[in-house]
Amino acid sequence: MEQVEQLLKRTLPFQVVSPETLGNIAGISQRETFSEGDVIYSAGQSANDVYVLASGRLHHAITPQVNAKIHEKSLNAGDVFGWAAIFEGERIRLADVSCTEPVEVLRIDGTKLLDLLRRDRNFGDAAMRSFSQLISQQYYLPPSVANRVPSTLAAPATTAEEPGEPAAQMASTWTLTMYRAGEWIRSPDPYLMMIGFMLLLGSWYLTVEVFKLPRFEDLPGLTTVVTEWFATDPMYGLSIHTSEYYQHVWVSIRRVAIAFLLATALGVPLGLFLGWSRTFREYVFPVFELLRPIPILAWVPLAIIMFTGSETPVIFLTFLASFFATALNTMLGVESIDESYTRAAYCLGANRWQVFREVIIPGAMPYVFTGLQISVGVAWFSLVAGEMVSGQYGLGYVINTSYTMVRYPTIIIGMVTLGIVGYATSAMVRVAGNYMMQWRLREMALGGR
Amino acid sequence: MAIASGGAAAPVTSKLQVSAGEIIVDNVSKSYGTGIFEKKVVKGCSFTIERNKLTVMIGPSGCGKSTLIKLLAGFEKPTTGNILLNGKPVTGPGRDRLVVFQESALFPWMTTYDNIMYGPIARGEADQKARDLAEFLLDKVGLRDFRSKYPTQLSGGMQRRAELARAMINNPEVMILDEPFRGLDAMSKELMWEYYSALFEESHRTNFFVTTDIDEALFLADRLIIMSNIPTRVRATIEVNIPRPRKLADFFTSERANEVKMTALSLLHEEAMKSFSGGSKAAADFVDSYARRSEQKA
Repeated sequence: MEQVEQLLKRTLPFQVVSPETLGNIAGISQRETFSEGDVIYSAGQSANDVYVLASGRLHHAITPQVNAKIHEKSLNAGDVFGWAAIFEGERIRLADVSCTEPVEVLRIDGTKLLDLLRRDRNFGDAAMRSFSQLISQQYYLPPSVANRVPSTLAAPATTAEEPGEPAAQMASTWTLTMYRAGEWIRSPDPYLMMIGFMLLLGSWYLTVEVFKLPRFEDLPGLTTVVTEWFATDPMYGLSIHTSEYYQHVWVSIRRVAIAFLLATALGVPLGLFLGWSRTFREYVFPVFELLRPIPILAWVPLAIIMFTGSETPVIFLTFLASFFATALNTMLGVESIDESYTRAAYCLGANRWQVFREVIIPGAMPYVFTGLQISVGVAWFSLVAGEMVSGQYGLGYVINTSYTMVRYPTIIIGMVTLGIVGYATSAMVRVAGNYMMQWRLREMALGGR
Repeated sequence: MAIASGGAAAPVTSKLQVSAGEIIVDNVSKSYGTGIFEKKVVKGCSFTIERNKLTVMIGPSGCGKSTLIKLLAGFEKPTTGNILLNGKPVTGPGRDRLVVFQESALFPWMTTYDNIMYGPIARGEADQKARDLAEFLLDKVGLRDFRSKYPTQLSGGMQRRAELARAMINNPEVMILDEPFRGLDAMSKELMWEYYSALFEESHRTNFFVTTDIDEALFLADRLIIMSNIPTRVRATIEVNIPRPRKLADFFTSERANEVKMTALSLLHEEAMKSFSGGSKAAADFVDSYARRSEQKA
């Protein structure tokens, strides 16, 4: 068995699959021997199995109907043939394969193999692509043939452009989502995640309520917090059944949204220009770098002096932190762009403004979205700082007043709510980024992420 | 448009309108730094990239070829001397001299088709004619089925082909290629040679191809320019005189090919040895690799 795996590992399509899949493929491969002159299969027969040549030499002749650049070739140990068995649609042999020496081969059932590769979430698609590559590069066949190897991932770019029935597309995305969800449930990931949560909650429960460790016993316990949070008539006045709770959440979300949008609208262009124009950077960057390390809390007095009311100072503080994160990451994004892209664009006749619009902006996008994710995180961070110092309503305000009024369970409710809302907003930024950078999504899928 | 010289058959019907230019490199030197820090990379270099021909430049790696390309492309200016395109001095980058660099410069955020169409779109010339030409080129380089894929979804060889198409759609007077097939595996490399020489044979556009691979140089070249090590200078020019279309299958067994190869190799050896005694590691590797190769072939 190990020998079979070793052999598979050496072949082009299987060198990328996970060890587990490799083991499974080895499990469904059968060793077979042929003597000199034997014909393994000939063109026109139906194709059921993929073969890997283990030893000896074979003669492989592709039928002239298929537009191969080179029709005949000899196969050596480690070569993979019979790939017509994993084609989408009709599976018919395209070549005659005969033995020029006594040979030993591994025979792998095509349907089962496809099934195994589809199940390999991370590397199955890469293996399929290697098959297409093998067909076009080692067998010199046109892409129309190579493309008949199915892909496990739906390619967003192609489905979007091809005039197909939207219903069918929806269905396939839906099945894909369901399939992925099913895979996730079957993988150890969700259970590990649950263990993580259980460890956190368990140690909270045990230290505070069961063992009553010194200093811990004053904290609100897990059960107290949960009862308070879901109570219809909360002891301290805040639970999911009170409208006040939602008002606090809403006020905080609104402040973050305004500050985040402002920071994006100003930070992204600033970052782009900082990265793009050397002169602009000479003027602005030193000032920027001097202001950036000043902690948000140090801005609080100025914010209160500068802005009237309780709302604007908080929004200003939230904006400030977001703005620096966004601008800095955008600038790094522009710097990360390979010079060859701008050179190529100039060469092809683009002017400076076109290069900015068509190369610099899309090229910086991956960094911009990383920046936005950081920015939305620090927005929540500085929002709470701002709300604690000035302002009415908001989750930071809840936490701070609950402390002074000794409503300890409400502090925890505020904290957990912040965690949930913060996670949701940064997930939204991530989804928006992935949607806007499908080219990048594909790239990451290739990396097995 | 004159597509006469070069000795090979003119294209039958080609959608590619070919305007072929000629570049004269006249006594060009390039140095970086000044005073005692001055380093001469190119020194008194003169050669002609002839109209309608595929000129291949070969020399040891690190001999300053890439600097020469940057000068030809107009990204940098020569310290002394002139580079003339059709008699006019080159002042900056332009679509008349398109460069295909050794690293892939396809925009990863555009599909294959959008990448190929970038030149016409950027110049505001994306009319029906340009779109037809893009279709034609997609077929020519065998990427029709990959038109809406992103570069990261293409193999190395496909990326190189897409890049060739992206350059050719602009109908440059001169195509300049800087080791475009470097880093491809042997199999795709040979496939690329065939693709590329077929493309050339169809149009007989003026091409300037830089490489370190003697087999590649030989298979592609009408004229072979052999460079000396830093400072870069022309060591010799060989007219290859092997008829086109060339087929890989029997090319390297032909007598003329071997004759040219021997001449070129002996010159290259000499050049490499010279700088080897000067202590260049790159040159030593170069000699080594060729020695090993000829042993294998013997």
